[in-house]
Amino acid sequence: MRASRRARGIQSAIALVLAALWAFPVYWMAVTAIKPRSDVVSRTPVFIPHSPTLEHLRTAIEAPGFWHFARNSLVLTIGAVVIALLIALASAWASTRYFFKGRKAFLITIMAAQLAPWEAMLIPIFIVYRDTGGLDVLLALIPLYMVMVLPFTVWTMRGFIAAVPVELEEAALVDGCSRGQAFRRIVFPLLAPGVMATSLFGFITIWNEFVFVNALMQSEPNATLPLWISAFQTVFGTDWGATMAASSLFTLPVILLFAILQRRAVGGLAAGAVKG
Amino acid sequence: MGWPLVNNVLLSLRKVTLRELISRDVVWVGFDNYRTILADPAFWDAVVRSVLFTAACAATTMVVGVLMALLLVRLPRFPKLVLSISLVLAWATPVLAATTVFQWLFDTDFGVVNWLLARVGLDTEGHSWFSTGRSTFLVAGLLVVWQAVPLVVFSISAALATVPPELDEAAVIDGATASQRWWTITFPLVRPMIGVLAFLQVIWDFKAFTQVYAMRRGGPDSSTTTLPILIYQEGLARSQFGLAAAASVVTVAILLVLLALYVRSAVRAEEVR
Amino acid sequence: MKQRWTAPALVAAVGLTLALSACGGDAKSGSGDAAEKNALTVWLMNGSVPDKVVQSVNADLAKQHPGATVTVEVQEWNGIQDKLTTALAGNNPPDVIEMGNTQNAKFSQSGALLDLDADKAKLGIDQWSKGMASSGVWDGKTYGAPLLAANRVVIYRTDLFEKAGVTVPKTFDEWVAATTKLNQANAATKDFQGIYLPGQSWYVYAGLLWDAGGDLAVKDGDSWKGGLDTPAAAEAIGKYKQLQSLSKAPKDADEATPQQFEVFAEGNVAQMIGLPWEMGSAVGANKKLDGKVAVFPIPSSSADKSGSVFLGGSNLGISAGSDSPKLAADWLALMTGEKYQTELALASNVVPNRTALLSKLTDPTAKIMAGAAANGHVTPVDPRWAGVEAGANPVKDYMTAVLTGTDPAAAGTKASAEITKRMSGAL
Repeated sequence: MRASRRARGIQSAIALVLAALWAFPVYWMAVTAIKPRSDVVSRTPVFIPHSPTLEHLRTAIEAPGFWHFARNSLVLTIGAVVIALLIALASAWASTRYFFKGRKAFLITIMAAQLAPWEAMLIPIFIVYRDTGGLDVLLALIPLYMVMVLPFTVWTMRGFIAAVPVELEEAALVDGCSRGQAFRRIVFPLLAPGVMATSLFGFITIWNEFVFVNALMQSEPNATLPLWISAFQTVFGTDWGATMAASSLFTLPVILLFAILQRRAVGGLAAGAVKG
Repeated sequence: MGWPLVNNVLLSLRKVTLRELISRDVVWVGFDNYRTILADPAFWDAVVRSVLFTAACAATTMVVGVLMALLLVRLPRFPKLVLSISLVLAWATPVLAATTVFQWLFDTDFGVVNWLLARVGLDTEGHSWFSTGRSTFLVAGLLVVWQAVPLVVFSISAALATVPPELDEAAVIDGATASQRWWTITFPLVRPMIGVLAFLQVIWDFKAFTQVYAMRRGGPDSSTTTLPILIYQEGLARSQFGLAAAASVVTVAILLVLLALYVRSAVRAEEVR
Repeated sequence: MKQRWTAPALVAAVGLTLALSACGGDAKSGSGDAAEKNALTVWLMNGSVPDKVVQSVNADLAKQHPGATVTVEVQEWNGIQDKLTTALAGNNPPDVIEMGNTQNAKFSQSGALLDLDADKAKLGIDQWSKGMASSGVWDGKTYGAPLLAANRVVIYRTDLFEKAGVTVPKTFDEWVAATTKLNQANAATKDFQGIYLPGQSWYVYAGLLWDAGGDLAVKDGDSWKGGLDTPAAAEAIGKYKQLQSLSKAPKDADEATPQQFEVFAEGNVAQMIGLPWEMGSAVGANKKLDGKVAVFPIPSSSADKSGSVFLGGSNLGISAGSDSPKLAADWLALMTGEKYQTELALASNVVPNRTALLSKLTDPTAKIMAGAAANGHVTPVDPRWAGVEAGANPVKDYMTAVLTGTDPAAAGTKASAEITKRMSGAL
């Protein structure tokens, strides 16, 4: 199906307008990060700073503990996302392909977990951590974070696995593949876009998490980057330039991840299509 | 996974303030916390506000998200990349920065939005976006939708990628219109994904706190005090954790009522598979 | 292809979750038991006490207690309520905490802090200035030691005052007259404001209310009653309205949206009511204002005293779960004692906790602020007051309502009822 050139032009134009709308607030954040103090609030908006400054970025990076926090953030985020993905793939596959006892209960539990108001449950969760000695233990956050992103990951992966025709897998089995091989070679490539969407979701959710790490990790060595972002609010007011600089830097890893996933996902799709 | 949930229910039946949390005393009060919440007229006002706000935000997010996903998969490489990156950027922006930027954009005297609208010839100079509840909700809603749409776009466009192009092409040859093709071919295939996303949007928007609170802390005149803000104001800010736990149980109950239809159909779909 | 199957994958999934949760349980924090007899953990807020002062205090403590170590951890404001709550209720709370003075009541009431009265003499409790000390007292006992405070002053442009032929006003009426004159003299300048005063600068209103003899809420046995339906409240809002009508600031915003010093820094504002550091921030944002800004105390109705002000600041407390309370008390005594209060006040230009030290301040701005602090007040000392400030603040709504034409009596009755309601319920 080839859309006419004209239709394509219109579509592209709409896309660019939408892109501008979505990017503008982000642009405003980034541009505030390089604006001199006098331009932050102004009756005539300063869209392009005439004398950009790196002062705020420097303040942000030179804040004590930055690299250490970054490491903590990465460990938690990657750990929780990878585990959640593996569990989600396994359980989504099992629960779409097989009927087993307790399957319904499993699905309902997953839904209930999504309904739970996690942020409002800080105190009950705190009590669990207090009783088990998990307070101020960095890695103890991984199970909590994993549970926070698991339901969406499972539900989405289920949708994708359900969309893969069973015949495809069966054909592979007939060709002599084991079940594991069939999954890896045939099903997985088709799931690539789903993996991309869910891992991006998981990454952003955990990367930004503030409430629990703030309340459950008490000592400074266990802090993560979201705490660093608010480090520019002091008794003497907020340094918005530095806050925006920190926030801008903070989004970079997400963009990086997106770039990697995008390439992989597109590659995966192509591979899947060829084999299919 | 269930442990904190059980804990939450148990807390809701107790008197828990900072004092009890520290001393670890257990004071059972039965359903007193629930009685306090349900008897407060402000509670029901907040529920109505939350439901309306959620419905508006979730519906807008889904419609905009699906349309943008349909657009995204049809785009040539370059505009596709630009739009994708814009969406990821919006999605990845930390909430603290996003809420602050939106407050700046909609500021009365210094906001870019008023400045731009004035350029286009509207009389918006000195217009206050936060003088009424409805208008404050509008700004908070824009913020919520702005950050929620990217996930919908990426998930739906991922789902669209699994729709075999042959089906669509065959329909074109049969002379089907775009809307016929959408309803008969594409929609049934992406429907489970739309269902999951809509389900999640309802939950997330109902629980949205920071975005609404940041604007006017539930004001003006409590007109944007949604359920999460009320829980914060009456429970957490005053360290009434038992009350807050009861309120979160009530929140889950309300969500269950709102989403009962979906849960039922999802579970039933599982049975007939 | 439908099979019955006890999914190993599912079992694995659940098993892994449990294993991981358990792993949280087994791990013991290595640094967790740091607080032995001679070691102290102190939580200070970001920006409150300069490093140099903290280090001198720690060195002095080490002289008193050879071998004592002090770990100071700087906390961020964002999310501090949750963090203090969980830390104090946790297994290993910090020994000394800094808290906002309006939060002190909550921690005093809940048994989170030690009663400091045992160390009354060492701490010099009797010498603390009344306004600052009151926030740390609950049920007649002292739980919080005032660390520092700041209060609002009028920040003004000396050049614009001179040009308009206006001198620093001594009374409220003179102030209104001066501001009117500033507006007239600069009528030609677009966006000029004799004063920048948004409609919801509620600490400023509270000052006027205290001047008129009223209060935000009044204790009535065990409960509280909102105080905005009184004649004093009506008188105060009348004054606020008079002053606010001379400003072009929005009537439905507070001083933080946008931050008022940013507006002041634009150069067309002659006065704002703010904390002294906002003066520095304004000059930082617009270097041209350097040397053209000064402060005067908020005038009251009479020339012989300045207006009442809200004392914002923070207190120090010793957590009830501390395992080295004696050491903590000695650290507290140093930090809140004369020597380091003087150093802190000189380094940060804040109000020290002893009236006797005011004369030691050298910075002219700090001197004026500290002078006005003598007439300082705090918001109602009760954990339930937090519920009033946490949501849509009824005081702000009251102000906007009256400024936009609602009858003060009607608006006051409504706001008072809301305050009474928010402060009701058992503790």
